[in-house]
Amino acid sequence: MEIIEKIKTNKSDDDLTEIQKICLHKLQSSPLPNPKSELWRLSNKSKLSTFLDYSVNKKDSKFDIPYPKNSQSTIRLIIGENFQINLIEKDYSIQQLSQDELQKYVKEQISFFKPNENWSDLLNLSLSCKNNILGLKINGSKIPPIEIFSHASSNSLNAKTLVIFLEKNCEIELLQVNLGKENSSLSQSTFFCLKENSSVNHGVVSYGENRSNLLNSLNVIQQKNSAYNLGSLHFKFNYARFEISIKQSAGNAKTNIKGMQITKKDEQISTYTKIEFNGPNGFLDQINKSLADDKSHAIFEGSIIVPKIAQRTDASQLSRNLLLSNLAQIDTKPQLEIIADDVKCKHGATISQLNEEELFYMRTRGITLTEASKLQLSSYFQEIISFIPISKDKWDLLDKLLNEN
Amino acid sequence: MVNENLVKDVVKEPYKYGFVTDIETEKIEKGLNEDIIKLISQKKEEPKFLLDFRLKAFKKWQKMKEPDWAALGYKKIDYQDIIYYSAPKQKEKISSLDEVDPKLLETFDKLGIPLTEQKKLTNVAVDAVFDSVSIATTFREELAEHGVIFCSISEAVKNHADLIEKYLGTVVPASDNYFAALNSAVFSDGSFVYIPKGVTCPMDLSSYFRINSGDSGQFERTLIIAEESSSVSYLEGCTAPMFDTNTLHAAVVELIALDDASIKYSTVQNWYAGDEEGIGGIFNFVTKRGKCLGKRSKISWSQVETGSAITWKYPSCLLLGEESIGEFYSVALTNNLQQADTGTKMIHIGAKTKSTIVSKGISAGKSKNSYRGLVKMGTKATGSRNYSQCDSMLIGDQASANTFPYIKSQQPNSEIEHEASTCRISEDQLFYLQSRGIEFEEAVSMMVSGFCRDVFNQLPMEFAAEADKLLALKLEGSVG
Repeated sequence: MEIIEKIKTNKSDDDLTEIQKICLHKLQSSPLPNPKSELWRLSNKSKLSTFLDYSVNKKDSKFDIPYPKNSQSTIRLIIGENFQINLIEKDYSIQQLSQDELQKYVKEQISFFKPNENWSDLLNLSLSCKNNILGLKINGSKIPPIEIFSHASSNSLNAKTLVIFLEKNCEIELLQVNLGKENSSLSQSTFFCLKENSSVNHGVVSYGENRSNLLNSLNVIQQKNSAYNLGSLHFKFNYARFEISIKQSAGNAKTNIKGMQITKKDEQISTYTKIEFNGPNGFLDQINKSLADDKSHAIFEGSIIVPKIAQRTDASQLSRNLLLSNLAQIDTKPQLEIIADDVKCKHGATISQLNEEELFYMRTRGITLTEASKLQLSSYFQEIISFIPISKDKWDLLDKLLNEN
Repeated sequence: MVNENLVKDVVKEPYKYGFVTDIETEKIEKGLNEDIIKLISQKKEEPKFLLDFRLKAFKKWQKMKEPDWAALGYKKIDYQDIIYYSAPKQKEKISSLDEVDPKLLETFDKLGIPLTEQKKLTNVAVDAVFDSVSIATTFREELAEHGVIFCSISEAVKNHADLIEKYLGTVVPASDNYFAALNSAVFSDGSFVYIPKGVTCPMDLSSYFRINSGDSGQFERTLIIAEESSSVSYLEGCTAPMFDTNTLHAAVVELIALDDASIKYSTVQNWYAGDEEGIGGIFNFVTKRGKCLGKRSKISWSQVETGSAITWKYPSCLLLGEESIGEFYSVALTNNLQQADTGTKMIHIGAKTKSTIVSKGISAGKSKNSYRGLVKMGTKATGSRNYSQCDSMLIGDQASANTFPYIKSQQPNSEIEHEASTCRISEDQLFYLQSRGIEFEEAVSMMVSGFCRDVFNQLPMEFAAEADKLLALKLEGSVG
């Protein structure tokens, strides 16, 4: 674990950026997350250490996007490819953030970070060099859909960071794709700032190849009257963690989250979400689905925090889980912390297997058990996949899930 | 809008059990060490196995750390500043109730607990525990006719040592947690119930706990064993005087149900909760656990938690026997600066086991009320089911309600369902009731009682009526 040693010895190279130095310093007191803390208790320690075992990759190999471009109008960006973005069209503009803007924002975020709670972000920012940070400022209207790729090269630990400012009254569709190559580790941190009246349909699709690992964290700040819709899908990772933190900074905002994780073999994929309402009239609708098969382990922990100021918050959270094998394991822990009294909050959780009555019904109609299970699963998956913007058709996600799994 | 001041005026009923009984007590010096434990054991003339059990627990406790994961904040407890044994001074041996200090009887009379056997109206056998010592157990003879043993645990240690040795610490091991270890080391008394094979206990059993001294902790231990095809309903009530200091109460309750046996354990907890400023009150750290050892056995917990400055309590069921059933029905009400972190654990180990959790939390004033629960399906729990429902009601904008349900499954052929909601007293409903001529306070109390109905339905009748009244009293003045 070269990186942990480096943090411990506090050897700071001169070519490190200020942010990298701050993060390294923050991590110094506890270079590894506390395995007893609620957030890391269930995380597989040996898998985490495999994640950290690869040496840090500073220069990417050439990356070919494995999917055809949907239409000419889609904008495609790859984090780590050294380019300058400065798109100024009649209706909209997509510009790269200046170093100052980027530093200022990220530094402000870091000031709230705690070593254990935000370990993934601190690790990411202390590793991610200038080339691997992409900062964008998006403004205007009629913005074409955007696809952003992050990938990890084999036998290395890769850190990529994405910072997006969505200016007032802006609406975008954004698909973020994280690809893990064989025997690789990817640390991806995304910072999203939604200004007033902006709205985003955000898709996060992460999938790996053999023995790939992922630490994916997403920090969203929503200003008044903004709408944030997130559809996420994580599968085929030896070890993956998806940490979502959403803050409705002044309330009056809408958040919709539909996420899914699918684990097979001995994989472990977990999702941790923390939604904070810092103003009145907030809205949240969240559903998280897990499917665990073989000897795998799926984890969901979601917390909703409603302080006194957040009156008239309407939040609901649902965790639905399918456990398909005797050796698989599912842990789920929804959490509500409420101080405001005029709120509507509810949550639910279920763990079960495929519905036997439905299976029986289909089989009496001459559908084989395999086909019937597939049909059931496809409806289970479809709810989430249909929520992921743009390329959902082209990517054949449903096919991928049904046939590869 | 509901008139907030009115609401605040409604909950100010003083704590009516806050008197102190002036009675001579025998106390040992403050502090905790091996000598103190030996002294307690010696005073109680205990056999060696029990002293060893205590000393072992003490050693483990010394190595443990006080848990800090609960959503509770309280000042550090100085375990050396507590008296671990305090008992009313009385004659060496009591052969009948007439010999009990009349002042003690008066105390229990004041609390509305019938200790004299003439008061057969309620048909409840009572074991009264005053500070650390059980002072009287009623209806013994009638129970003995059925073979039921109902006595204080100290007596059981003397008369039924084999049962104690066999079962004590089998459900809650001494090393289970910090407070259970402390209790195992210093427990002074409590109740013991043994229901023989095939017997349905002819009456409800009840124990009544009263803390009287301000500086002594109460560490009682309850052990209930239900043999094959037997059944029992057990009630527990608690009160304490008002002191400015915090008193520690760390109890352990162990239930064991064998094949086809059923145990119903109901609690109305009304320890002194401290004043409006949060001064004084009982720290209630309790470990309650039942083991459904036999096939088709059933353990049902129902509780109404209204007192204590701090409550830390998770009555649990270990469902080992095939088709065994665990139930948990709870109402937890917090007001002023009270804090409660309570819930349950249902551990499904055997096949076709079932559990139901219904928890209702009401937080008023500046209080903090958390539900924390665990439902676990083990690898062998095929065909098992769990249903949990936890609802919270917030009264006033300074109270907080948290829910931390934890669900873990390793068995695909099992089903877990959980739902939770948070709401407040709806203004529409209040308006409706008021427009029908129902007073504001009564309307609130009706709604709270409706909110808790699922749980009250599970309580024994006398308790249900008491619980309803208690809730109404506790809430007076806090609704807004």
